[in-house]
Amino acid sequence: MTTTAQPSRGQILLDRGASLPLILPATLLVLVFLVGPFYYMAYTAMTDLSFANPDQNGAFIGFDNFRKLVREDTIFWGSFWRTIRFVAIAVSIEFVIGFALAWLIWRYVERQRLLTTLLLVPMMLAPVAVGLIWRLLLQGDFGMATHYLRAVGLLSQSSAVFSTPSLVMPTIIAIDVWQWTPFVTLIILAGLMSMPRSPFEAATMDGAGPWRQFFDIMLPLLRPIIALVLLLRGIDAFKEFDKVFIMTGGGPGTVSELLSIYAYRVNFKTWNLGYGAAVSFMVYLVVLILCSVFYKAVYWKSADQRAQA
Amino acid sequence: MYGNGSRLRMLIATSLLATSAALVLVGEAGAWSLEEAAAPYKGTTIRTIGEALPPLEAMKKLAPEFEKRTGITVEIEMYEASETASKVMLDLNSKRGRYDFILQQHRNVGKFVTNGHVEPIEQFMTSAELRDPEFKPEEQLYQGLWKEISWYDGKAYGFPFTALTMYEWYRADLLSDPKEQEGFKAKYGYDLGPAQDWKQYRDIAEWFTRPDQGLYGTAIQGKRHEALWYEWLNFLYSFGGDMLEVKTGSECGPVIVNSPQAIAATEYYKSLMAFSPPDTLNYFWDDVMALMQQGKVAELIMWNDATYAVAVDENVSTVVGKMGFDIVPQGEGGKVAQVEGWSYLIPTAAKNKEAAYLFIQWMMEYDQQLEQHLNGGATPRPDVYASAEVQKLPYAKASMASNEVAKPKPTIPQSSEMTDILVREISSYLADEKTAKEALDESAKEISAVLGSCAPMKYPVQ
Repeated sequence: MTTTAQPSRGQILLDRGASLPLILPATLLVLVFLVGPFYYMAYTAMTDLSFANPDQNGAFIGFDNFRKLVREDTIFWGSFWRTIRFVAIAVSIEFVIGFALAWLIWRYVERQRLLTTLLLVPMMLAPVAVGLIWRLLLQGDFGMATHYLRAVGLLSQSSAVFSTPSLVMPTIIAIDVWQWTPFVTLIILAGLMSMPRSPFEAATMDGAGPWRQFFDIMLPLLRPIIALVLLLRGIDAFKEFDKVFIMTGGGPGTVSELLSIYAYRVNFKTWNLGYGAAVSFMVYLVVLILCSVFYKAVYWKSADQRAQA
Repeated sequence: MYGNGSRLRMLIATSLLATSAALVLVGEAGAWSLEEAAAPYKGTTIRTIGEALPPLEAMKKLAPEFEKRTGITVEIEMYEASETASKVMLDLNSKRGRYDFILQQHRNVGKFVTNGHVEPIEQFMTSAELRDPEFKPEEQLYQGLWKEISWYDGKAYGFPFTALTMYEWYRADLLSDPKEQEGFKAKYGYDLGPAQDWKQYRDIAEWFTRPDQGLYGTAIQGKRHEALWYEWLNFLYSFGGDMLEVKTGSECGPVIVNSPQAIAATEYYKSLMAFSPPDTLNYFWDDVMALMQQGKVAELIMWNDATYAVAVDENVSTVVGKMGFDIVPQGEGGKVAQVEGWSYLIPTAAKNKEAAYLFIQWMMEYDQQLEQHLNGGATPRPDVYASAEVQKLPYAKASMASNEVAKPKPTIPQSSEMTDILVREISSYLADEKTAKEALDESAKEISAVLGSCAPMKYPVQ
């Protein structure tokens, strides 16, 4: 004898198409605050709109802004490659250190909750606050960090971090690492803690050493988590603005002018909004391409492997 | 006969007295008063926005008196300068009319006027109901400053909120120290005193650079920030250079920012970095003011509205009574100073324009201007400068001298873009990314492209 399960009240509502009112508010929010502005930005990028120059009143100019951006704008390309370097170096260091810390905590620390709470502190600070704190710490005349760097001989008495062009980007990367490594640690730690024990026990019985277990079991199991953390950090680092703007304003010269700072200058210093929208659109496009490629390369591969298993 | 004549005289005298009294009464009834002019606007609230600095704080303290007399409430929003500019731009372009009057840098006036965002002030000044007959800006203000700060293309759009300029700040106590004077003369062959030319300025900077004693000759505002551009302009103008070959800020003309004079000025400017503290590429105006307040610098070029906090306010400065001030040293361009300022402007979308005008007019009166100036303002009224209280301020003479030789800068709509280009390029030169010629050539090319056919390059770039 077979019994048929009675559908729940919620199921009935969903079946009757009552789901629409439930998802409508969220859909409207997304349309009004995300999709709408995005299309407006894309349209603005094809106009000559300027709040400064009355001759540029928003006339449609097709792809002229993009053509100028790609073919003529050396400042844009300088900022673009600088941003790519920043993302690649900062996120790599954050990943390596974050992974190592997560593994050490997972392996050796018993009171993990206390430690994870402490780890949260730098990433809970607003980026503007981080910028202000480090600007003061590294201030060349009375900054505490400057004082100690000079005391231990890492910085000469006649130089200061943000006034030495060769030190500016490494310092910005170091500060980003300081702020965001805990984020990587926490996510990886969560992944480590949720791993099943059985594959490791089986591997141990089969005589696999720690390195073999690390590369052949742990890394494949963590692949989705690693993909997620690299993706989130990559996107975030590509949009980096607040800290750098507060600490250096993009200088000295163009040493720390990241793409977001360039976009800010075009939009809010010169009020050339059509061209600024084109710059912002390019930022979006690059992030989108990076995400797609990365997602395909790492996350889907991992999903395929799971499916095959 | 006598009796009749006497009566007649009495009658005439009485008639004359009565007529005079009637005329006085009629006159009093018709005399302009703030209270009567403001009566139709009683109960309204006017809102403004400006940079959070002492002049605006002084205005905030003065506003309650206006509110008491008129019944008009004044709301003042204060932000950092660039935040103020962003909020104003968004308000003007959205035509929301949040602000009944705005306080903005004069370089933005062209942008606002050509886009139709601000009202000419004439329409309020010609209104018998609004215009205080005692307010005569054409007589009471420095004409050069008023026209530079609040006019565009031959028309007035407001009045100066602050008339700013930069001049030389120096440590008078160090320069008058007999030991220093003796040593300086032995080394350089002339008497130590406030620098009158750029050679002296450099010599003094070199002489007082003693990092082991925590003392530096000067402080350059080398951060990639507008402050860098403003500071550099003093050198540019004094060396005989300019950005455009024009007579007024609202004109467009040939680009001369890469002239030989401009290159010489820029190279000289960078040479002073050797006598500035190590973090000089990270300084803007707040940093160098703090250094001077701490007594770490012998001389620098700074703003008049920052002088109060260094020379007068003992709560924040260790060098009160030790400071001296003079006009910027002379070069090939002669005695010259730059003029900068914030202007009162009334947006076209404002909802309470008349009430806003009444407040602005009231603020321009002598008493308010004096009070504001004594609390860190920079008045455009020469009679305020001439007052005994202002003359007591150690920087009054330098301010007046600079105001008289102040030179205009572009206020055309593209002026912000020009500034941004120059800040980037000069900063690149200071950071050793380019030579002075390369940086200024690139600036000339870009500025010429931004301004179009009205601005060919006078010194073409290969």
